[in-house]
Amino acid sequence: MSLDIDSHIRHSSRYVGRSVPRREDRGPLTGRGRYVADIKLPGMLEVVFARSTEAHARITGIDTSEAEALEGVVAVFCAADLSDVNTFPDYIPYIGAVRQRPLAEDRVRYVGAPYAAVVAVDRYIAEDGASLVAAGTTYEPLPTVADLDQALASGAPKLYDHWESNCSFDVAPHKPEVDRAFEEADHVFTETYVSQRQTGLPMETRGVVADMVDGTLTVWSSTQSPHMVRTTVALMLGMPEPQVRVIHPAIGGGFGTKTHIYPEDVVVPWIARRLATPARWIEDRMENLVASVHAREQRHDVEVAYDADGTIRGVRCASMLDMGSGEIFMPGTAPVFVTNACITGGYDFPNMEARTIGAVTNKTPAGAYRGFGIPEGAFVMERIIDRVARLTGTDRADLRRRMLLRPGQTPYVMHGGGRLDSGSHTESFERALEMSAPRLEQVRKRHAGDPDVRVGVGYANYVEPTSPSYHLTTGHWGGGDAATVRVDPDGSVRVAAGLSAFGQGAETTAAQLAADALGVSPQDVTVVLGDTERTPYGLGSWGSRGAMMLTGSVLLASERLLDKARAIAAHMLEAAEADVVLEDGAFHVAGSSRPSVSWAEVGTAAWVRVVDLPDGMEAGLETSGFYHPENLQHQLDDTGKINAAASWSNGTHIGIVSVRISTGEVTIEDYIVVHDCGTVINPALVEGQVHGGVAQGIAGAMYEHFQYDPDTAYPRFASFMDYLVPTCAEVPHMEVDHFESPAPEQPLGVKGCGEGGTVGPPAVVAGAVSDALSEWGVDLTECPVTPVAVRAALRAAEANRGGGSGAPP
Amino acid sequence: MKPAPFEYCRPSTVDEALEALGSSESSRVLAGGQSLIPAMNFRLTDVSLLVDINRVEGLDAVTCDSGGVTVGAAATQTRVLEDDGAASVVPGLRAALRHVGHLQIRDRGTVCGSLAHADPAAELPAVAVATGAAIDVTGPAGERRIDAADFFHGPFWTALEDGDLITEVRFPAPPPRSVTIVDEICRRAGDFAVAGLVAVIEVDAGAVRSARLVGFGLGGVPTRLQAAEAAIGGWAADHPVVTLTEAVMADTTDAFDDIHAPNWYRGEAVAALTVRAALRALATEEEV
Amino acid sequence: MTIIEPISEANVEVTVNGRPHRHRVPARLLLSDYIRDTVGLTGTHLGCEHGYCGACTVMVNGDAVRSCLMLAVQADGAEVRTVEDLAPAGSDALSPMQQAFHDNHALQCGFCTAGFLMTLESVDPAEWRDPERLVELLSGNLCRCTGYQNIVAAVTEAWNAYDGSGGSDDG
Repeated sequence: MSLDIDSHIRHSSRYVGRSVPRREDRGPLTGRGRYVADIKLPGMLEVVFARSTEAHARITGIDTSEAEALEGVVAVFCAADLSDVNTFPDYIPYIGAVRQRPLAEDRVRYVGAPYAAVVAVDRYIAEDGASLVAAGTTYEPLPTVADLDQALASGAPKLYDHWESNCSFDVAPHKPEVDRAFEEADHVFTETYVSQRQTGLPMETRGVVADMVDGTLTVWSSTQSPHMVRTTVALMLGMPEPQVRVIHPAIGGGFGTKTHIYPEDVVVPWIARRLATPARWIEDRMENLVASVHAREQRHDVEVAYDADGTIRGVRCASMLDMGSGEIFMPGTAPVFVTNACITGGYDFPNMEARTIGAVTNKTPAGAYRGFGIPEGAFVMERIIDRVARLTGTDRADLRRRMLLRPGQTPYVMHGGGRLDSGSHTESFERALEMSAPRLEQVRKRHAGDPDVRVGVGYANYVEPTSPSYHLTTGHWGGGDAATVRVDPDGSVRVAAGLSAFGQGAETTAAQLAADALGVSPQDVTVVLGDTERTPYGLGSWGSRGAMMLTGSVLLASERLLDKARAIAAHMLEAAEADVVLEDGAFHVAGSSRPSVSWAEVGTAAWVRVVDLPDGMEAGLETSGFYHPENLQHQLDDTGKINAAASWSNGTHIGIVSVRISTGEVTIEDYIVVHDCGTVINPALVEGQVHGGVAQGIAGAMYEHFQYDPDTAYPRFASFMDYLVPTCAEVPHMEVDHFESPAPEQPLGVKGCGEGGTVGPPAVVAGAVSDALSEWGVDLTECPVTPVAVRAALRAAEANRGGGSGAPP
Repeated sequence: MKPAPFEYCRPSTVDEALEALGSSESSRVLAGGQSLIPAMNFRLTDVSLLVDINRVEGLDAVTCDSGGVTVGAAATQTRVLEDDGAASVVPGLRAALRHVGHLQIRDRGTVCGSLAHADPAAELPAVAVATGAAIDVTGPAGERRIDAADFFHGPFWTALEDGDLITEVRFPAPPPRSVTIVDEICRRAGDFAVAGLVAVIEVDAGAVRSARLVGFGLGGVPTRLQAAEAAIGGWAADHPVVTLTEAVMADTTDAFDDIHAPNWYRGEAVAALTVRAALRALATEEEV
Repeated sequence: MTIIEPISEANVEVTVNGRPHRHRVPARLLLSDYIRDTVGLTGTHLGCEHGYCGACTVMVNGDAVRSCLMLAVQADGAEVRTVEDLAPAGSDALSPMQQAFHDNHALQCGFCTAGFLMTLESVDPAEWRDPERLVELLSGNLCRCTGYQNIVAAVTEAWNAYDGSGGSDDG
């Protein structure tokens, strides 16, 4: 997109590029942040959902009479009561249709599936009622499938009677050039890599408050995408969209989990409408662990063709996603496609043949989690490179050097069509190596005297698609956002954007952008986000899109506003428009000593003293822009390829670990990130995104794992004692450095940075621990890398050598 | 996650507390509540009456003398952790309490509550067994003193009968030339241990003279490592570790198997902790 | 006050942020819900309700306490402090620790922030300022946004300013 304002800001920005302090902080710091659970309306009722305690069963009866008889319980609703609610749409044609109802009717497919809603005067009593409903529910258990193997076995019990099998999709491209690589290569190895089931786990659970007054349904929701919630709730409740208003107040994190539109998002508004009373549901943590989407559970069966000198000639990878029950809107199918699209990262490696498979199991539906498939792919690629280096006696860093894209090689089209528009792939790796070398020496020295400790280093290079298409994910929406900019009579600026955010600092960012665009101070800019009634359409925060969407939409609207403002000012200055410049927050005639015209004067003319407007000019000073990145594709081209992201950030992570042989304990001694997200709008915010992403990546690399009983598909977790979210003591200090390779085709060169941090750690930790234990030939193929996993690997290595059951030392 | 309905009382004497405990089928003592209330929030525990002993006179005392430390039923973990006298007389208390939960948990949680709760992965029951603590209990059957070795019956299961109340626990001082070590493998700071060890090791002239070794997180109750205690006598830093590790493995063949670790890992981990403890104890002697 | 006969509701008198409150509450009402719903101070957040995440940390008689693991009736007669009490009253100023959190970008979504601030408010910096001790202290509160990096930086800065040592390790 070409905007005059773009080059203006690039050359004379006063706020873009600086760590402007956040305007979002004061509420949470002083206890006056307003989250969904803080909203209290007169007469508001509390909703609690009764959830399946069976992994797969027919519901044979729900006796709600005892709950209904309980003092304080107002109503109990089951699926049959919601006959006036539409089914969640199945928009994606090539995946199995799940025809999801908001409440399970006669069949439940995972522990945690909601099947009844209890409405009561307070939460305590509503929980009492839900316990009574649970006690009154009878099931006929069905055979379960707990993992991909069970799901895809022939004759497996089916989750959906109208499907042929549990396979939701299987997309298998064939590349003759990969066949040739396998024919010509010196060697081939096969391996299976596994990423475990995790979740985004925001500290604030989900929550919905709804109230229907005078025909308008207002929904406060802890969602990442209020406009999409409005569109979907209106569709499902059969209401005109203007009569549904969705507000997201302060949001306590989302990390992908709140991009989905859940049954509760529909049922709670329905209850408010049905009972003509405000209703509220706040997810508790026990629910959150089973009822908000899980993610990352993938298996990758790979074949790798390589030469004796370490050259990797070709890779075939079958990537398989465990979708859980699949009962989630939008479907959780896209991440595995992203895994395959991004698997080769910033390496010049076209010879990849990637098959993509999804299957349903009797577990919590899989969905989005920050990283959205990228970490799983980076894990596979980096483990492959380490293996080939080991098999061929090649230095691991050198092999990466040989493969990484060099300066001048971008734009580069990846194996699946992703177009790396710019980047610092080699430079980031070299810089990170430089930063890590002295630290590695220090760590080695520190542990030199301890025979029980080994030290290792792990590498990850990756790309991060930013501002992606949502069409592939939803089958419905696209990939752009709108913003409106207004200057009021007093000269104050108001920005309203379709983007919304949950802690990233989008309001601060929007104010920086508008301030630079209009030559004012950020303090003069009021930012409105997260209210469908007060903001134009947008898709919300996910996919590392916030920075670019705000930049594009705010600048587009600002440029339009500036054109009109300049015309007004020129009229007031009795000058030609072309001679009028905006400097120091006011309009001047260039090179003239004539007095200037302030924003307040322009705003007053536009709205109030319309007599000061040029003849025939329409009053008002408010403009909008819908930003859609130019080169963003939503559909596959003739060759089956697609560039489904507007730009591509990149980065390198290097981790240094120490491993205690006797116990398998792993300590990350140093963690280095070199990150390139194009033009940086606010360095502090970007660094914060990197920190948080890395911590979540480490969580996946070493701690968090949803385990299910393989025989019953019953969850083996219920609390933070079983789902191990890392504390301050588990997250190491990080050293972060940046490159800035502007996105050549995007406004200001902004790319995006939300997800990259999560991508490196699984590959880094597995690589570093395998390096530390190389004398035993340990080569880890799955996460999390736990003390048990480390000891198991050492025992297996020892057993392979015929050393019996005893593991080292 | 709100508790189901229950009744509550807050007596000011032990007799009132006992009477209340006896008045209801599923009454429970509420001391720190740091394990009981989460269980009630999950609705995992059926409680009809909570008897809050936090304001019973005299139950929150911590007293030390050269022979040991006595901790009252309502004394918080923070109180004991910060008591320098207690730490010098029974070093295992402070060493263990540093691993117990987090500050906010220890500010409410009680030492006696941890014993009564009897989580098999908890540190304090193992300290009680390792030091030979005596637990004073009063209840419908009158007052009695129970040795820690007889107190723990299984996971979350103790010698306490319905209506019983622990009034205090006495941790005797370990032998004079001993070193007490509390060490554990846990996944995150403050978590219950995957496997842990309380070791009271007597050292003499560069070798271990004898040791009391109690593992936790291994089985239903704190586990005396008897083979290891036999093997460790006379062990010195230059002796092969396999003598110790094989003994511990023999002691731990029945260790737990759960999502956090398989049983073989727990054995290996405690074996490693035993070696580590012996080496630390021997190094401590050198320093002194 | 002694309650000998079992009751299912009780009168409580609790001083919250210096203000006395009297309410009749169900025995099962958690202190966290009492603070948020009965008293109406919603700055204290519920992140797990099983005593792990620390978001609901408040001070009770000076101690840091997980308010989801305490009953409102147990707070009868107690002094409770919440995040709303930290900033100096009647001005726009923040407390030094709040200011350090702001200056160091130590919060993103802000949901966990109150718990961290109240934990920090309850301790003597001299006892916890050593980096290892600080990590131990902070490990009782989960944060999902910051990776803890800037929280550690903020506390270090605030405490260095607090005792005027300017970063030397004589504390």
